[in-house]
Amino acid sequence: MTTKLDPGKVAQLLTQSSRQLDTSTLSALAEARKNALERQLVRSPSTALSTGNWTHNLTPHSGQQWLATGLLVAILMFTAGYWKHAREQQISELDVAILTDELPIEVFVD
Amino acid sequence: MNHNHIFVKIILVFTRLFLAAIVLLPFLVSSPASAAPESWQSLSHAQKEALAPLAQQWDSLPETQQQRLLKTAKGYHQLSHVEKQRFQERLTVWSKLTPEQREAAREKYQAFQKVPADTREEVKQMIKQEQQQKAQQSDTGTNDSAK
Repeated sequence: MTTKLDPGKVAQLLTQSSRQLDTSTLSALAEARKNALERQLVRSPSTALSTGNWTHNLTPHSGQQWLATGLLVAILMFTAGYWKHAREQQISELDVAILTDELPIEVFVD
Repeated sequence: MNHNHIFVKIILVFTRLFLAAIVLLPFLVSSPASAAPESWQSLSHAQKEALAPLAQQWDSLPETQQQRLLKTAKGYHQLSHVEKQRFQERLTVWSKLTPEQREAAREKYQAFQKVPADTREEVKQMIKQEQQQKAQQSDTGTNDSAK
């Protein structure tokens, strides 16, 4: 025959017994709880990167993540393409300017 | 804790972007597919007119230089008569320079454009006077030797 444990009663008993503890024990327990919580806070961000499975973290999981990554890559490609085109245009304009300037080409060439 | 989570997410986004950039970089930096060498015969009439001084050596020029010259030649038909003359006179010298020399010349030209207009004008006058003196000296030398 087993006796069923009522969680409410257990909690009540624990509260009652904790009230009987002396102040130094209570403060030691409170200190230990505080330390444990602090350790947990420090560990939580590092566990996300140091699971040893970092490639898993770098791969997008949901469709939304794939979409966001695709969008970022598209923006990156567009920006690089635009920058390259602008630079080419600038070089061509400079070349024409040097080749047609009032000053002889030797002034700008070593 | 929430801030740390956001920080980790930002790091992951940047790492993904960095990896994507590494993968895509060769495609972005390389020349487009149209950068194949072009023979002088395949150029349009307008391109041949602008690049006429290079007709003989065109086919032996590196393809990157050909592409660059073709882009430069695009602006040729908008130039004045005097500018067209200068363009063609200087084209041969320009094409013989190394890419590093051309880049240095562009930097010098850009730096010169930043000089105040009045100082730039003074320099231009000085150089013109020098050129005139040289021309006069060479004329005198030619006349003396002819005598």
